[in-house]
Amino acid sequence: MSINYFISILKPMLEGAQMTVLLFLIAIVLSIPLGFVLTLAVRSSFKPVSWFAQIYIYVMRGTPLLLQLLFICFGLPMLPVIGDYLVLDRFVAACLGFTLNYAAYFAEIFRGGLMAIDKGQYEAAQVLGLNKWQTMTRIILPQMFRIALPAVANESVTLVKDTALLYAVAVPELLHYAQTVVNRDFTIVPFFIAGIIYLILTLLLTVLFKWLEQRFKFD
Amino acid sequence: MALIEVSNLKKSYGKLDVLKQITFDVNKNDVVAVIGPSGSGKSTMLRSLIHLEEIDGGSICISGEYLVRDGIYSKPQEIKRITSKMGMVFQHFNLFPHLTVKENLELAPRLVKKELNAEIERRSKELLEKIGLSDWATAYPGKLSGGQKQRVAIARALMMNPEILLFDEPTSALDPELTGEVLQVMKQLAEEHMTMIVVTHEMGFAKEVANRVIFMDNGEIIESGHPTELFTNPKFERTKAFLKRSLK
Repeated sequence: MSINYFISILKPMLEGAQMTVLLFLIAIVLSIPLGFVLTLAVRSSFKPVSWFAQIYIYVMRGTPLLLQLLFICFGLPMLPVIGDYLVLDRFVAACLGFTLNYAAYFAEIFRGGLMAIDKGQYEAAQVLGLNKWQTMTRIILPQMFRIALPAVANESVTLVKDTALLYAVAVPELLHYAQTVVNRDFTIVPFFIAGIIYLILTLLLTVLFKWLEQRFKFD
Repeated sequence: MALIEVSNLKKSYGKLDVLKQITFDVNKNDVVAVIGPSGSGKSTMLRSLIHLEEIDGGSICISGEYLVRDGIYSKPQEIKRITSKMGMVFQHFNLFPHLTVKENLELAPRLVKKELNAEIERRSKELLEKIGLSDWATAYPGKLSGGQKQRVAIARALMMNPEILLFDEPTSALDPELTGEVLQVMKQLAEEHMTMIVVTHEMGFAKEVANRVIFMDNGEIIESGHPTELFTNPKFERTKAFLKRSLK
C-alpha cells in the first residue's frame, strides 16, 4: 500500500474525527452543568421539581441513546402542528440528544458524590457561621467534584465512543468516513485507523483525568 | 448572671423522650464536664445549645439572649448571631479535607467575620504555635494523626473568638495514646479561663480539670456538683452504679 493512498484515506477520516471531537466537547461542556442542575433539582424540597427531575433521569437512562437520537432527528418533525418547527440540523439535533442523555448520567454521578459527604461537614460549616451558599460553594461542591472525578472520567470515555452513533443519523463523522472507504476500496485498513484514532482520543482523556485526580488529591 | 441558662429542655423522637426537663446554668469561666452512659442524651443536649438539634420545649439563654424561649425559637438571623458566641469541637473532628490546616483555620474568619487578612493570619499563626502544629500549616488534614486533627479542630473553633467552647466527646474517636495531647490543649484553655462544656468519657479530665460535673442518665440530669464531691460521695444510686462501672 502506497503512502499516498494512506494519506488520501487518512485526510477525510481526520476531518470526521474533528466532528467527533466537536460533538464530544459540546456535549461534555453542556451536559456537566445541566447534570449538576438536575442533581440539585432531585434534592429540591419542592416536590414537583424533584419528581420531574427523577422521571427525566429515569427516562433518559432507561431508553437507548440511539432511540433518543432517532426521535429528535426524525420523530420530532413528525409531531402534529408543532412538528414543522422542530426540524433541526442533524448535528444540532445530535448535540441536543447527547447533552440531554449525558446530563442524566452526570446527575446520578454528582448525586452519589453528594451522598458520600459526611453530614459532619455541614455541621462544622454551620457552627462556624457559614451560610448555605458559602457551605455549598466552599465546602460541599469542591469535595463532591473530587469524589465524582473517577466516575466523570469513565463517563467521558464512554461519550467519546458513543459519538459513533452519529453514523445512525447520517452526520459524517470518523466512523462514517471509515465505512465509506471500506465499501469503496474493499480494504479493512480504515477500520484500524479509526480504532487507533479513538484510542488516541480516549488516551488523551485518561491522561487528563489522571492529572486532575493527582492535582486534587488533598493528602 | 449565668452565661448559659437552660431550663426545662425537652426533646423527643416519636414516643422516645431523649431530653426530659433539663435545667442547668453555666457561669463565665466554668468548665463543666457532662458524663453519663451512652444514649443518656448528653450529646443531644450539647448539640441543642448551638442549634444542631431543635428542641421541642424549654428555654436556652446565652449571655442574656434567648436562642429559644418556652419552645419558641428566635428569628434565623438572631439564632445565627447568638450561636456565633459559641464554638464546637466534634468527636470526628469534621475538618475540611480539601483545605490545608491553615485554610481550615482561616476560612470562616475570612467569609463570616470579614476580618483583615493580616489579623487573620496573625491569629492562625499564633494558634498553630499554641497547639504545637506550626510545621503543619500547609498540610492537608489527611496527613495528620487523630490527635493532631482534633487539636486543629480546637484551633479552628478558637479562630472565631468564641465566648464558650462546646466539646462533644472530643477524645472518643482517638487511640488511647493520642488522647493526652488533646486533653493537654483543653487543660490549657481551662487555665486561660475559657468557658467550656465538655461531654466526655474521660473521668480523669472531669476530675482534674472540670469545676463542675453533670451526671445525666436516661434524658435527665441525675445530679451535678463539684467533681471531688460527685466522684467521692455521689448521692444517687444511679450515679454510684455508673461511676463504679466507669472508674474500674
